[in-house]
Amino acid sequence: MALSFSSDLLTPMLAVHPEASELLGDGVLGFITNSVLVALCVLGLVFLFSKKATTNMTLVPHKAQNLFEFLVEFLYNRVESIVGPKQVKLAFPLLGTLFIYILVSNWFGLIPGVGTIGFGPSTGALSVTSSDHAFHPILRPPTADLNATLALAVSAFLVWFVLTIKEVGVWGFIVHTFGPKGGLKGFMGLVVGAVFLFVGVIEIVSIVLRPMTLSVRLYGNIFAGESVLHTLGGLLDKAGQPWSMIGSVLIPFPFYFMELLVGLLQAIVFTLLCSVYIQLSTTHDDHGHEEGDHH
Amino acid sequence: MDLLSPMFGKLTPVLGAGAVDEIVNKFGLDFPKFIAQVIIFVLVYTILKKFAFGPILSMLEQRRQRIADGEAKLEKIARDLAEAEKNAKAVLDKANDDASRLIKEAGDSAKSLAEKRQQEAIHEANQIIAKSREAAKLEHEQLLSQLKREFGRMVSDATSRVTGKVLNSDDQSRINQETSAQVSL
Repeated sequence: MALSFSSDLLTPMLAVHPEASELLGDGVLGFITNSVLVALCVLGLVFLFSKKATTNMTLVPHKAQNLFEFLVEFLYNRVESIVGPKQVKLAFPLLGTLFIYILVSNWFGLIPGVGTIGFGPSTGALSVTSSDHAFHPILRPPTADLNATLALAVSAFLVWFVLTIKEVGVWGFIVHTFGPKGGLKGFMGLVVGAVFLFVGVIEIVSIVLRPMTLSVRLYGNIFAGESVLHTLGGLLDKAGQPWSMIGSVLIPFPFYFMELLVGLLQAIVFTLLCSVYIQLSTTHDDHGHEEGDHH
Repeated sequence: MDLLSPMFGKLTPVLGAGAVDEIVNKFGLDFPKFIAQVIIFVLVYTILKKFAFGPILSMLEQRRQRIADGEAKLEKIARDLAEAEKNAKAVLDKANDDASRLIKEAGDSAKSLAEKRQQEAIHEANQIIAKSREAAKLEHEQLLSQLKREFGRMVSDATSRVTGKVLNSDDQSRINQETSAQVSL
Protein backbone atom coordinates (compact mmCIF):
# COMPACT_ATOMS: atom_id res chain seq x y z
CA MET A 1 0.00 0.00 0.00
CA ALA A 2 1.49 3.33 -0.97
CA LEU A 3 0.99 6.34 1.26
CA SER A 4 0.76 9.71 -0.43
CA PHE A 5 2.62 12.76 0.78
CA SER A 6 1.84 16.29 -0.23
CA SER A 7 4.01 19.31 0.40
CA ASP A 8 0.86 21.42 0.72
CA LEU A 9 -0.28 19.19 3.55
CA LEU A 10 3.09 19.17 5.24
CA THR A 11 4.15 22.80 5.00
CA PRO A 12 1.42 24.54 7.00
CA MET A 13 2.11 22.23 9.95
CA LEU A 14 5.77 23.15 10.04
CA ALA A 15 6.78 26.42 11.70
CA VAL A 16 10.42 25.96 10.69
CA HIS A 17 11.33 24.83 7.19
CA PRO A 18 12.32 21.13 7.28
CA GLU A 19 15.22 21.73 4.93
CA ALA A 20 18.49 23.43 5.81
CA SER A 21 18.81 26.74 3.98
CA GLU A 22 21.68 27.42 1.61
CA LEU A 23 23.62 30.49 2.67
CA LEU A 24 25.62 31.10 -0.51
CA GLY A 25 23.09 30.22 -3.15
CA ASP A 26 22.62 26.86 -4.84
CA GLY A 27 25.77 26.94 -6.97
CA VAL A 28 29.13 25.34 -6.29
CA LEU A 29 28.98 26.48 -2.69
CA GLY A 30 25.44 25.26 -2.30
CA PHE A 31 26.57 22.76 0.33
CA ILE A 32 27.24 25.63 2.74
CA THR A 33 23.96 25.69 4.61
CA ASN A 34 22.91 27.20 7.90
CA SER A 35 23.37 23.77 9.52
CA VAL A 36 26.87 23.40 8.03
CA LEU A 37 27.71 26.81 9.53
CA VAL A 38 26.55 25.67 12.97
CA ALA A 39 28.33 22.33 12.50
CA LEU A 40 31.55 24.30 11.90
CA CYS A 41 30.83 26.31 15.06
CA VAL A 42 30.36 23.03 16.96
CA LEU A 43 33.60 21.75 15.45
CA GLY A 44 35.39 24.90 16.65
CA LEU A 45 33.87 24.64 20.12
CA VAL A 46 34.84 21.00 20.44
CA PHE A 47 38.36 21.78 19.25
CA LEU A 48 38.81 24.73 21.61
CA PHE A 49 37.40 22.96 24.62
CA SER A 50 39.22 19.67 24.08
CA LYS A 51 42.46 21.60 23.50
CA LYS A 52 41.90 23.58 26.68
CA ALA A 53 41.02 20.45 28.64
CA THR A 54 44.09 18.53 27.57
CA THR A 55 46.68 21.31 27.68
CA ASN A 56 48.95 21.13 30.73
CA MET A 57 47.25 18.01 32.01
CA THR A 58 48.11 17.10 35.57
CA LEU A 59 47.35 14.17 37.84
CA VAL A 60 45.30 16.57 39.94
CA PRO A 61 43.05 17.88 37.16
CA HIS A 62 42.15 21.50 36.50
CA LYS A 63 38.51 22.45 35.91
CA ALA A 64 38.25 21.88 32.16
CA GLN A 65 40.30 18.70 32.41
CA ASN A 66 38.13 17.48 35.25
CA LEU A 67 34.91 18.01 33.30
CA PHE A 68 36.25 16.32 30.19
CA GLU A 69 37.70 13.45 32.19
CA PHE A 70 34.36 12.94 33.88
CA LEU A 71 32.59 12.91 30.52
CA VAL A 72 35.08 10.60 28.82
CA GLU A 73 35.30 8.21 31.77
CA PHE A 74 31.52 8.06 32.10
CA LEU A 75 31.07 7.36 28.39
CA TYR A 76 33.93 4.87 28.29
CA ASN A 77 32.52 2.87 31.18
CA ARG A 78 29.00 2.85 29.69
CA VAL A 79 30.28 1.79 26.28
CA GLU A 80 32.57 -0.83 27.80
CA SER A 81 29.67 -2.30 29.78
CA ILE A 82 27.79 -2.77 26.51
CA VAL A 83 30.36 -3.71 23.87
CA GLY A 84 32.85 -5.38 26.21
CA PRO A 85 36.50 -4.66 27.02
CA LYS A 86 37.79 -5.89 23.67
CA GLN A 87 35.62 -3.84 21.33
CA VAL A 88 35.58 -0.71 23.47
CA LYS A 89 39.09 0.28 22.41
CA LEU A 90 38.04 0.28 18.75
CA ALA A 91 34.49 1.52 19.11
CA PHE A 92 34.85 4.16 21.81
CA PRO A 93 36.36 6.97 19.71
CA LEU A 94 33.40 6.81 17.31
CA LEU A 95 30.74 6.41 20.00
CA GLY A 96 32.26 9.10 22.21
CA THR A 97 32.45 11.47 19.25
CA LEU A 98 28.83 10.71 18.32
CA PHE A 99 27.64 11.48 21.85
CA ILE A 100 29.61 14.70 22.24
CA TYR A 101 28.86 15.99 18.75
CA ILE A 102 25.13 15.25 18.98
CA LEU A 103 24.86 16.68 22.50
CA VAL A 104 26.70 19.90 21.64
CA SER A 105 24.70 20.27 18.42
CA ASN A 106 21.40 19.71 20.17
CA TRP A 107 22.15 22.17 22.95
CA PHE A 108 23.65 24.65 20.51
CA GLY A 109 20.16 24.95 19.05
CA LEU A 110 18.92 26.23 22.41
CA ILE A 111 21.24 29.24 22.45
CA PRO A 112 19.03 32.31 22.04
CA GLY A 113 19.01 33.31 18.41
CA VAL A 114 19.95 29.92 17.02
CA GLY A 115 16.90 28.62 15.19
CA THR A 116 14.87 31.69 16.08
CA ILE A 117 16.45 34.51 14.10
CA GLY A 118 15.96 34.18 10.38
CA PHE A 119 13.63 34.77 7.50
CA GLY A 120 9.94 33.91 7.44
CA PRO A 121 6.40 34.91 8.29
CA SER A 122 6.61 36.88 11.48
CA THR A 123 6.07 40.34 12.85
CA GLY A 124 8.37 43.08 14.03
CA ALA A 125 10.60 45.70 12.53
CA LEU A 126 13.32 43.24 11.58
CA SER A 127 11.02 40.74 9.88
CA VAL A 128 11.86 39.74 6.35
CA THR A 129 9.28 37.61 4.66
CA SER A 130 10.57 34.54 2.86
CA SER A 131 9.28 33.22 -0.40
CA ASP A 132 7.41 30.34 1.25
CA HIS A 133 5.32 30.06 4.41
CA ALA A 134 7.99 28.45 6.55
CA PHE A 135 10.67 30.04 8.69
CA HIS A 136 14.31 29.86 7.59
CA PRO A 137 16.66 30.38 10.54
CA ILE A 138 20.12 31.82 9.93
CA LEU A 139 21.66 29.33 12.32
CA ARG A 140 20.26 25.82 12.39
CA PRO A 141 21.51 23.01 14.66
CA PRO A 142 23.09 20.25 12.55
CA THR A 143 20.89 17.65 14.17
CA ALA A 144 17.85 19.48 12.78
CA ASP A 145 19.17 18.77 9.27
CA LEU A 146 18.53 15.32 7.83
CA ASN A 147 21.78 15.49 5.85
CA ALA A 148 23.75 15.78 9.09
CA THR A 149 21.89 13.08 10.99
CA LEU A 150 22.18 10.79 7.99
CA ALA A 151 25.91 11.52 7.85
CA LEU A 152 26.23 10.50 11.50
CA ALA A 153 24.16 7.36 11.01
CA VAL A 154 26.02 6.29 7.86
CA SER A 155 29.39 6.89 9.55
CA ALA A 156 28.28 4.79 12.51
CA PHE A 157 26.97 2.11 10.13
CA LEU A 158 30.28 1.93 8.28
CA VAL A 159 32.24 1.62 11.51
CA TRP A 160 29.79 -1.03 12.72
CA PHE A 161 30.30 -2.96 9.48
CA VAL A 162 34.11 -2.79 9.69
CA LEU A 163 34.15 -3.84 13.37
CA THR A 164 31.74 -6.69 12.70
CA ILE A 165 33.65 -8.09 9.72
CA LYS A 166 36.93 -7.65 11.57
CA GLU A 167 35.61 -9.56 14.56
CA VAL A 168 33.55 -12.38 13.08
CA GLY A 169 34.46 -12.32 9.36
CA VAL A 170 32.10 -12.37 6.40
CA TRP A 171 31.20 -16.03 6.79
CA GLY A 172 30.78 -15.62 10.52
CA PHE A 173 28.40 -12.74 9.93
CA ILE A 174 26.35 -14.80 7.46
CA VAL A 175 26.22 -17.76 9.85
CA HIS A 176 25.40 -15.44 12.75
CA THR A 177 22.54 -13.89 10.78
CA PHE A 178 21.04 -16.85 8.91
CA GLY A 179 22.35 -19.88 10.73
CA PRO A 180 19.86 -22.04 12.68
CA LYS A 181 20.34 -22.18 16.42
CA GLY A 182 19.43 -24.87 18.87
CA GLY A 183 21.15 -27.82 17.17
CA LEU A 184 17.95 -29.58 16.05
CA LYS A 185 18.34 -32.37 13.48
CA GLY A 186 16.08 -34.01 10.95
CA PHE A 187 12.72 -32.59 9.89
CA MET A 188 12.54 -30.14 12.81
CA GLY A 189 16.04 -28.99 11.93
CA LEU A 190 14.88 -28.17 8.39
CA VAL A 191 11.84 -26.30 9.70
CA VAL A 192 13.92 -24.34 12.19
CA GLY A 193 16.52 -23.66 9.46
CA ALA A 194 13.81 -22.22 7.22
CA VAL A 195 12.50 -20.07 10.07
CA PHE A 196 15.99 -18.76 10.84
CA LEU A 197 16.57 -18.06 7.15
CA PHE A 198 13.43 -15.95 7.13
CA VAL A 199 14.47 -14.26 10.39
CA GLY A 200 17.87 -13.57 8.83
CA VAL A 201 16.21 -11.82 5.88
CA ILE A 202 14.22 -9.68 8.32
CA GLU A 203 17.41 -8.97 10.21
CA ILE A 204 19.21 -7.87 7.04
CA VAL A 205 16.32 -5.52 6.27
CA SER A 206 16.46 -4.10 9.79
CA ILE A 207 20.25 -3.67 9.51
CA VAL A 208 19.92 -1.87 6.18
CA LEU A 209 17.22 0.37 7.61
CA ARG A 210 19.31 1.29 10.66
CA PRO A 211 20.94 4.42 9.18
CA MET A 212 17.50 5.69 8.28
CA THR A 213 15.88 4.89 11.61
CA LEU A 214 18.77 6.42 13.52
CA SER A 215 18.90 9.56 11.39
CA VAL A 216 15.17 10.16 11.16
CA ARG A 217 14.67 9.62 14.91
CA LEU A 218 17.32 12.18 15.80
CA TYR A 219 16.25 14.64 13.12
CA GLY A 220 12.56 14.29 14.01
CA ASN A 221 13.09 14.95 17.69
CA ILE A 222 15.36 17.94 17.31
CA PHE A 223 13.49 19.45 14.38
CA ALA A 224 10.23 19.05 16.30
CA GLY A 225 11.79 20.81 19.28
CA GLU A 226 12.95 23.68 17.06
CA SER A 227 9.47 23.97 15.58
CA VAL A 228 7.81 23.88 19.00
CA LEU A 229 10.07 26.61 20.38
CA HIS A 230 9.60 28.75 17.31
CA THR A 231 5.83 28.29 17.22
CA LEU A 232 5.43 29.02 20.93
CA GLY A 233 7.70 32.04 20.62
CA GLY A 234 5.45 33.50 17.96
CA LEU A 235 2.17 32.59 19.60
CA LEU A 236 1.33 36.18 20.59
CA ASP A 237 2.74 37.80 17.45
CA LYS A 238 -0.65 39.14 16.47
CA ALA A 239 -1.42 40.54 19.95
CA GLY A 240 0.83 43.51 19.35
CA GLN A 241 3.59 44.93 21.55
CA PRO A 242 4.50 44.46 24.36
CA TRP A 243 2.56 41.18 24.54
CA SER A 244 4.30 39.80 21.50
CA MET A 245 7.74 40.35 23.04
CA ILE A 246 6.71 39.12 26.50
CA GLY A 247 5.01 36.07 25.03
CA SER A 248 8.01 35.22 22.85
CA VAL A 249 10.13 35.01 26.00
CA LEU A 250 7.79 33.55 28.61
CA ILE A 251 5.76 30.99 26.65
CA PRO A 252 8.61 28.90 25.24
CA PHE A 253 10.68 29.28 28.42
CA PRO A 254 9.53 26.02 30.15
CA PHE A 255 10.01 24.12 26.93
CA TYR A 256 13.71 25.00 26.87
CA PHE A 257 14.16 22.71 29.90
CA MET A 258 12.32 19.96 28.08
CA GLU A 259 14.52 20.49 25.04
CA LEU A 260 17.63 20.31 27.23
CA LEU A 261 16.45 16.91 28.36
CA VAL A 262 15.47 15.82 24.85
CA GLY A 263 18.87 16.89 23.52
CA LEU A 264 20.66 14.80 26.13
CA LEU A 265 18.29 11.89 25.71
CA GLN A 266 18.68 11.78 21.94
CA ALA A 267 22.47 11.84 22.25
CA ILE A 268 22.27 8.94 24.69
CA VAL A 269 19.79 7.00 22.55
CA PHE A 270 21.85 7.37 19.38
CA THR A 271 25.08 6.34 21.11
CA LEU A 272 23.54 3.48 23.04
CA LEU A 273 21.83 2.05 19.98
CA CYS A 274 25.10 2.14 18.03
CA SER A 275 26.81 0.43 20.99
CA VAL A 276 24.14 -2.25 21.11
CA TYR A 277 24.39 -2.83 17.35
CA ILE A 278 28.14 -3.34 17.69
CA GLN A 279 27.72 -5.61 20.70
CA LEU A 280 25.08 -7.76 19.00
CA SER A 281 27.12 -8.40 15.89
CA THR A 282 30.52 -8.90 17.54
CA THR A 283 29.58 -11.39 20.25
CA HIS A 284 30.42 -14.98 19.52
CA ASP A 285 27.84 -16.70 21.71
CA ASP A 286 24.58 -18.19 20.48
CA HIS A 287 22.43 -15.77 22.41
CA GLY A 288 23.43 -12.60 20.65
CA HIS A 289 20.46 -12.26 18.38
CA GLU A 290 19.28 -8.92 17.40
CA GLU A 291 15.58 -8.60 17.59
CA GLY A 292 15.34 -5.87 15.04
CA ASP A 293 14.64 -2.22 15.35
CA HIS A 294 11.97 -1.46 17.89
CA HIS A 295 12.19 2.28 17.52
CA MET B 1 20.09 14.27 -4.09
CA ASP B 2 20.22 11.65 -6.82
CA LEU B 3 22.99 9.83 -4.98
CA LEU B 4 20.95 9.66 -1.80
CA SER B 5 17.82 8.48 -3.56
CA PRO B 6 18.92 4.82 -3.66
CA MET B 7 19.21 4.82 0.10
CA PHE B 8 15.69 6.06 0.50
CA GLY B 9 14.63 4.02 -2.51
CA LYS B 10 14.31 1.09 -0.12
CA LEU B 11 11.13 2.77 1.06
CA THR B 12 9.68 2.65 -2.44
CA PRO B 13 7.58 -0.49 -1.82
CA VAL B 14 5.97 1.25 1.14
CA LEU B 15 5.63 4.84 0.02
CA GLY B 16 5.75 4.66 -3.76
CA ALA B 17 8.43 6.14 -6.02
CA GLY B 18 6.97 9.62 -6.03
CA ALA B 19 6.71 9.73 -2.27
CA VAL B 20 10.40 8.87 -1.86
CA ASP B 21 11.39 11.71 -4.16
CA GLU B 22 8.97 13.91 -2.26
CA ILE B 23 10.66 13.07 1.06
CA VAL B 24 14.14 13.56 -0.38
CA ASN B 25 13.11 16.94 -1.78
CA LYS B 26 11.09 17.97 1.24
CA PHE B 27 13.89 17.40 3.75
CA GLY B 28 16.55 18.80 1.48
CA LEU B 29 18.62 15.64 1.17
CA ASP B 30 21.54 16.50 -1.06
CA PHE B 31 24.76 14.63 -1.68
CA PRO B 32 27.19 17.60 -1.39
CA LYS B 33 25.49 18.71 1.83
CA PHE B 34 25.62 15.15 3.10
CA ILE B 35 29.34 14.86 2.26
CA ALA B 36 30.00 18.24 3.91
CA GLN B 37 28.40 16.94 7.10
CA VAL B 38 30.36 13.69 6.89
CA ILE B 39 33.60 15.65 6.51
CA ILE B 40 32.75 17.85 9.49
CA PHE B 41 31.93 14.79 11.56
CA VAL B 42 35.20 13.12 10.56
CA LEU B 43 37.03 16.30 11.56
CA VAL B 44 35.30 16.31 14.95
CA TYR B 45 36.19 12.63 15.32
CA THR B 46 39.83 13.33 14.48
CA ILE B 47 40.04 16.29 16.84
CA LEU B 48 38.44 14.45 19.73
CA LYS B 49 40.52 11.34 19.16
CA LYS B 50 43.76 13.31 19.00
CA PHE B 51 43.16 16.04 21.57
CA ALA B 52 40.65 14.51 23.96
CA PHE B 53 40.21 10.76 24.04
CA GLY B 54 43.87 9.85 23.59
CA PRO B 55 45.37 12.11 26.27
CA ILE B 56 42.45 11.72 28.68
CA LEU B 57 42.29 7.94 28.46
CA SER B 58 46.05 7.88 28.87
CA MET B 59 45.78 10.16 31.91
CA LEU B 60 42.97 8.04 33.36
CA GLU B 61 45.07 4.91 32.85
CA GLN B 62 48.07 6.64 34.44
CA ARG B 63 45.92 7.71 37.40
CA ARG B 64 44.41 4.24 37.69
CA GLN B 65 47.91 2.76 37.69
CA ARG B 66 49.01 5.28 40.29
CA ILE B 67 46.02 4.48 42.48
CA ALA B 68 46.70 0.76 42.09
CA ASP B 69 50.36 1.35 43.01
CA GLY B 70 49.24 3.45 45.96
CA GLU B 71 46.88 0.72 47.09
CA ALA B 72 49.64 -1.86 46.75
CA LYS B 73 51.99 0.36 48.72
CA LEU B 74 49.31 0.93 51.31
CA GLU B 75 48.82 -2.81 51.69
CA LYS B 76 52.58 -3.29 51.93
CA ILE B 77 52.78 -0.54 54.55
CA ALA B 78 49.92 -2.13 56.48
CA ARG B 79 51.68 -5.49 56.30
CA ASP B 80 54.98 -3.93 57.36
CA LEU B 81 53.22 -2.09 60.16
CA ALA B 82 51.62 -5.28 61.39
CA GLU B 83 54.98 -7.00 61.16
CA ALA B 84 56.67 -4.11 62.97
CA GLU B 85 53.99 -4.17 65.67
CA LYS B 86 54.48 -7.89 66.00
CA ASN B 87 58.24 -7.43 66.26
CA ALA B 88 57.83 -4.56 68.70
CA LYS B 89 55.53 -6.69 70.82
CA ALA B 90 58.04 -9.53 70.74
CA VAL B 91 60.84 -7.14 71.68
CA LEU B 92 58.73 -5.68 74.46
CA ASP B 93 57.81 -9.11 75.74
CA LYS B 94 61.46 -10.13 75.67
CA ALA B 95 62.44 -6.87 77.38
CA ASN B 96 59.75 -7.44 79.99
CA ASP B 97 60.96 -10.96 80.57
CA ASP B 98 64.56 -9.76 80.77
CA ALA B 99 63.58 -6.94 83.09
CA SER B 100 61.63 -9.30 85.33
CA ARG B 101 64.53 -11.70 85.35
CA LEU B 102 67.01 -8.91 86.08
CA ILE B 103 64.80 -7.53 88.83
CA LYS B 104 64.49 -10.98 90.32
CA GLU B 105 68.24 -11.51 90.02
CA ALA B 106 68.90 -8.09 91.49
CA GLY B 107 66.50 -8.87 94.33
CA ASP B 108 68.17 -12.18 94.96
CA SER B 109 71.57 -10.59 94.73
CA ALA B 110 70.55 -7.77 97.05
CA LYS B 111 69.14 -10.25 99.52
CA SER B 112 72.26 -12.34 99.36
CA LEU B 113 74.44 -9.26 99.73
CA ALA B 114 72.37 -8.01 102.63
CA GLU B 115 72.71 -11.35 104.36
CA LYS B 116 76.38 -11.36 103.67
CA ARG B 117 76.71 -7.81 104.97
CA GLN B 118 74.64 -8.71 107.97
CA GLN B 119 76.84 -11.71 108.67
CA GLU B 120 79.89 -9.56 108.26
CA ALA B 121 78.42 -6.92 110.54
CA ILE B 122 77.54 -9.55 113.13
CA HIS B 123 80.99 -11.02 112.88
CA GLU B 124 82.57 -7.61 113.08
CA ALA B 125 80.37 -6.71 116.04
CA ASN B 126 81.34 -9.94 117.76
CA GLN B 127 84.97 -9.19 117.13
CA ILE B 128 84.51 -5.69 118.48
CA ILE B 129 82.73 -7.07 121.51
CA ALA B 130 85.44 -9.69 122.02
CA LYS B 131 88.15 -7.09 121.67
CA SER B 132 86.29 -4.80 124.02
CA ARG B 133 85.90 -7.57 126.51
CA GLU B 134 89.56 -8.43 126.17
CA ALA B 135 90.53 -4.80 126.53
CA ALA B 136 88.19 -4.43 129.52
CA LYS B 137 89.60 -7.57 131.04
CA LEU B 138 93.12 -6.37 130.47
CA GLU B 139 92.30 -3.00 131.89
CA HIS B 140 90.57 -4.69 134.79
CA GLU B 141 93.62 -6.79 135.47
CA GLN B 142 95.90 -3.79 135.20
CA LEU B 143 93.69 -1.83 137.53
CA LEU B 144 93.57 -4.76 139.83
CA SER B 145 97.33 -5.17 139.88
CA GLN B 146 97.69 -1.43 140.25
CA LEU B 147 95.18 -1.53 143.08
CA LYS B 148 97.05 -4.40 144.67
CA ARG B 149 100.29 -2.57 144.34
CA GLU B 150 98.72 0.55 145.72
CA PHE B 151 97.06 -1.43 148.44
CA GLY B 152 100.35 -3.14 149.26
CA ARG B 153 102.12 0.19 149.33
CA MET B 154 99.43 1.57 151.57
CA VAL B 155 99.71 -1.50 153.85
CA SER B 156 103.49 -1.16 153.90
CA ASP B 157 103.17 2.50 154.57
CA ALA B 158 100.64 1.86 157.32
CA THR B 159 102.77 -0.90 158.81
CA SER B 160 105.86 1.25 158.85
CA ARG B 161 103.93 4.05 160.44
CA VAL B 162 102.34 1.79 163.05
CA THR B 163 105.51 -0.03 163.85
CA GLY B 164 107.78 2.94 163.42
CA LYS B 165 110.18 0.78 161.67
CA VAL B 166 111.69 1.49 158.35
CA LEU B 167 110.87 -1.45 156.21
CA ASN B 168 113.48 -2.76 153.88
CA SER B 169 112.77 -4.02 150.49
CA ASP B 170 112.43 -7.63 151.66
CA ASP B 171 109.84 -6.60 154.21
CA GLN B 172 107.94 -4.60 151.72
CA SER B 173 108.04 -7.42 149.27
CA ARG B 174 106.80 -9.92 151.84
CA ILE B 175 104.03 -7.53 153.01
CA ASN B 176 102.97 -6.96 149.47
CA GLN B 177 102.83 -10.69 148.76
CA GLU B 178 100.83 -11.37 151.85
CA THR B 179 98.50 -8.47 151.16
CA SER B 180 98.02 -9.66 147.61
CA ALA B 181 97.32 -13.09 148.88
CA GLN B 182 94.80 -11.77 151.34
CA VAL B 183 93.07 -9.44 148.85
CA SER B 184 91.02 -11.36 146.34
CA LEU B 185 88.96 -9.23 144.07
